[in-house]
Amino acid sequence: MNKKLAVYICTGCGIGEALDIEKLLKVGTGEGKAPVCKAHTCLCSQAGIDTINNDCQVEGTNTIIIAGCSSRVNQDAFTFDTSKIIERVNLREQVIWSQPANNEDTQMMAEDYLRMGIVKAQKTELPEPFKPNEDISKTILVIGGGMAGMTASIEAAYAGYEVVLVEKEGVLGGFSARLYKQFPNQPFSLELQEVSHQEKIKEIESIERIKVYTSAKIEKIAGGPGLFDVTLKHKGENVQFRVGAIVLAAGFEPYDPAKLSHLGYGKSANVITSSLMEELAKNGKIKRPSDGKEVKAVAFIQCAGSRDKDLLPYCSTFCCMTSLKQAMYVREQNQEAIAYIFYKDMRTMGLYEDFYIRAQEDEGIFFTKGEIASIEPTQADNLTVTANKTLFGRDIIVEVDMVVLATGIVPTTAIKRIIEEAPIEEKKEEPTVPQDAIIKSDILNLDYRQGPELPGLRYGFPDSHFICFPYETRRTGIYAAGCVRHPMDMAAAMDDAAGAALKAIQCIELTAKGQAVHPRVGDMTYPDLFMQRCTQCKRCTDECPFGALNEDEKFNPLPNITRCRRCGTCMGACPERIISFKNYSIDIVGSSFKAIEVPEEDEKKPRILAFMCENDAIPALDMAGVKRLSYTPYVRVVPVRCLGSINLVWIADALSKGIDGILLIGCKYGDDYQCHFVKGSELANYRLSKVKETLDRLRLESERVKIVQLSINEYDLLPGIFNEFMETMEKVGPNPFKGF
Amino acid sequence: MKDKIIKPDLGFIKEIIAGGGESLKKCYQCATCSVRCSLSPDNEPFPRKEMIKAQWGMKKELLASPDIWLCHQCGDCTTYCPRGAKPGEVLSAIRRLAISHYGFPGFLSRWIGKPKFLPFLLFIPALFLGLAILVKKPLFDKLGIESSVSQKIIFASTTIFPHWLLNSFFAFFSCLAFLSIIIGTIRFWSAMKAQDKGTSPAKSLVKSLILALKRIITHEDFSQCTTNKWRFLAHSLVFFGFIGLSFVSIWVITSSFNPLFQKGLVYPFNLLNPLKIMANLGGVAIVVGCLLMIWNRLKQKNIGTYFDWFFILVLLAVGLSGFATEIFHYARVDTLKVIVYFIHLVFVFILLMYLPYSKFAHLFYRAIALIYAEYSGRSNETK
Repeated sequence: MNKKLAVYICTGCGIGEALDIEKLLKVGTGEGKAPVCKAHTCLCSQAGIDTINNDCQVEGTNTIIIAGCSSRVNQDAFTFDTSKIIERVNLREQVIWSQPANNEDTQMMAEDYLRMGIVKAQKTELPEPFKPNEDISKTILVIGGGMAGMTASIEAAYAGYEVVLVEKEGVLGGFSARLYKQFPNQPFSLELQEVSHQEKIKEIESIERIKVYTSAKIEKIAGGPGLFDVTLKHKGENVQFRVGAIVLAAGFEPYDPAKLSHLGYGKSANVITSSLMEELAKNGKIKRPSDGKEVKAVAFIQCAGSRDKDLLPYCSTFCCMTSLKQAMYVREQNQEAIAYIFYKDMRTMGLYEDFYIRAQEDEGIFFTKGEIASIEPTQADNLTVTANKTLFGRDIIVEVDMVVLATGIVPTTAIKRIIEEAPIEEKKEEPTVPQDAIIKSDILNLDYRQGPELPGLRYGFPDSHFICFPYETRRTGIYAAGCVRHPMDMAAAMDDAAGAALKAIQCIELTAKGQAVHPRVGDMTYPDLFMQRCTQCKRCTDECPFGALNEDEKFNPLPNITRCRRCGTCMGACPERIISFKNYSIDIVGSSFKAIEVPEEDEKKPRILAFMCENDAIPALDMAGVKRLSYTPYVRVVPVRCLGSINLVWIADALSKGIDGILLIGCKYGDDYQCHFVKGSELANYRLSKVKETLDRLRLESERVKIVQLSINEYDLLPGIFNEFMETMEKVGPNPFKGF
Repeated sequence: MKDKIIKPDLGFIKEIIAGGGESLKKCYQCATCSVRCSLSPDNEPFPRKEMIKAQWGMKKELLASPDIWLCHQCGDCTTYCPRGAKPGEVLSAIRRLAISHYGFPGFLSRWIGKPKFLPFLLFIPALFLGLAILVKKPLFDKLGIESSVSQKIIFASTTIFPHWLLNSFFAFFSCLAFLSIIIGTIRFWSAMKAQDKGTSPAKSLVKSLILALKRIITHEDFSQCTTNKWRFLAHSLVFFGFIGLSFVSIWVITSSFNPLFQKGLVYPFNLLNPLKIMANLGGVAIVVGCLLMIWNRLKQKNIGTYFDWFFILVLLAVGLSGFATEIFHYARVDTLKVIVYFIHLVFVFILLMYLPYSKFAHLFYRAIALIYAEYSGRSNETK
């Protein structure tokens, strides 16, 4: 592409009054050598846009630098056709709204940002959407034929997509097929309902677009979004097909009651789990297992193993409702029969409270909070349940025919089914990046370098903790729905399924256009690896938060672009600096900050560089400007896709240029991370721990580089962060490399 | 361990629900009621624990609890209950069951609680009084009593009812009722003792009695209600009105053989006689008090049960029919006087004879519970 630059400086919103526009224009025409360089009083107006378009036609400009407001605003106005490269320079929020007007330092800041923008535009190339060599499939694979899986299939099919539904059991229905009745899943309904899986199965059978495989198991999934090559084992034969995206609705299994011997499990056949209770109810009259006697008194033990840090630490959300329902089974069977419910807390959210009230109003259902001290069999095969810390203010004992343990749920992804033969030999290298624990649950069997299943967030749930974005997992194109994602009841699982199906559709459509999925939706750039210089160090394949890169047998990275989220973590990781995007590379970013004019030491105008995450830190900085919060004029901000994309070479480059200090401001990491690419800020922190070597080599103080975690709402902290770092720099003194 | 096993009594739960505690099962044990109650002791406060015991049908424990009687049903708990479980109403229903449980003989207790027996309950006194009228003449002849003796007592002895006959008639039945209530309260006391097995008394019995009487007479428990402040007034009026009327009645009945009392008593009294003034004031207090209670129940809607209304209406009927008799007497409308007097006597009979089984029994059970509360150290020293 033959570039012809045009620089436009908007003088609206007070920019014209606060800055010397003539001098700014000189930066454009002089250093920038831009053939077109204009100021306009209101660039986002139709007149402004017309000016730009006119120059494109008349002068043939195709690389447009717009210096004015933040790139986060007026995006509609400044959208041009795809043959143009657009670079926006923020003179409003980040300069005149946060710095004093008509000030030498303010002017220098504006000029530096313009220089950075021009260099970036000069280096940027037009992105071309990624088109794989093979055909992209728009079929959706749904794994799991329970309520969530069936709903996802139906929703996707009605939206016009082919669906393959895979179920490991011989029939569809999942856990709901095991139920006798279901609790009401409609608002204000208080009656037990017939289980609705049969209707769903009929609906599925009536839809031609849905291909169902029961008694099937996934042997292997290779490829990525649009190109997933699935191998199924079905009736002893391998079936192969290609799908575009995957909805994982593999459900849950009840918590293993063998660990509940403290609640009498195993001591008597009459201590059962709530899932066995459903079976008993399904077989007609509820009879206890030991002698087939019809039950007259049943105790339900809530949170059996749940909400216990040593067993199952979380709440499974629907066990309270299940026990209320089963207590009603007992009462419906015999009006003289009674049910006790021992709970830690009754959790019947939302309108389910009405159902709880209904159960409470039944004179034969008795509730008490309490801790179960013991459950012991009596000689008559009965059981005595002793509870302490009850609402009676004392210990109580009841004698019952049967005890039902309301066990929680474990996502199928948390159950290890493939046991490794031999442990992998321990590497005694330098400490590597903390790796994700992947439980080999034998569900997806992904042919991925980082492991065959989804990395979990906590407790084996394959959630990704994407801020505000449910269904996303850590593997692009695979969306979790239902209880495999987190505990939920049937109604919620069905809603979830519809959501995940829509995410799968979005993924397929974006992938077909060669664009990125969440969170960089629509981004058409993608990582380009200059393989000749690759040293097979495996850092990119190790560190990619989404497992996008596979490896060949010689450890060469094999990118799967459709899996890529375009965060640039690989670019930050690569010591050979061979990974780049068309508009984002080591060179583009490095050159842009090298364009900053660093004053001589005796001018007493230090310079600090702030690499800031585009997702949260940059919006926070804009917000600080909107709120007119003021901070040091010596800071220069470099937006980055993610802190994970920061290559250590930038730090070395910046310091050798004479920049006094470097701040990295990104999202919070750790258990409750807010990083939009899951691990970026954590990786940046890890890499910085190694930057000391670089600093030592340059004989610089380690205080010169600092990483800060910031939430999007903490804009008010930014001036303090900048100013404090500036003070530190004053104490440390100027960078001795200035002027070299 | 065996005796510690809780066995819910489903029938008892149903009885509470049927007897005005239909909101019982709504309680979710937040204890707003106990916090709100100004009468509840700091240690093991009520009515939260009573609510769960009632939900669990723990009949024995509840009926042997003084706490259900320490409640004066001011309604603070019911007003503030976030779930509409109406603890006040539930305790009231439990108290009703306690009266029925301890009442002797049991069948009478059951009759009082059921509206279908009302005609029968009215019929019994009417029958007795009717018989008394019928047997009067043969009895007079047999005993050799001259009618002229009673003729002097203008008010009571319209020729139909001789004063002495009525006196002995009511005295006899009152003694029966009193005996019955004594049996009931003794049962209650021993049940409370049995429940608190092993704990030693906090105060002497005499001191407890004095303290309890002070609490009853001063109505101090009523004065602590915040939701229904009027109840202090209404209950005081009825309580002292009844005391006043009882005093006058006993004076009159016992005058002929009580040496302490003035001989040559002329009955009915002159309107300005201190005793007559006391009786009239007592009557007014009862009527006004009852009307206040009725007005409040109607205002609050859905408050009260048949059991509750039975007592108030009987009391009101006694008061109103008494005044009607008095008015017709002074107006010299003899026929009407005889009719309303008969009605008055029927209601007095109902009030007194059915005392051990009606809500009236609360006078005794609550008194016993208050004594026991002092005795066992259940009450707050200062509040």
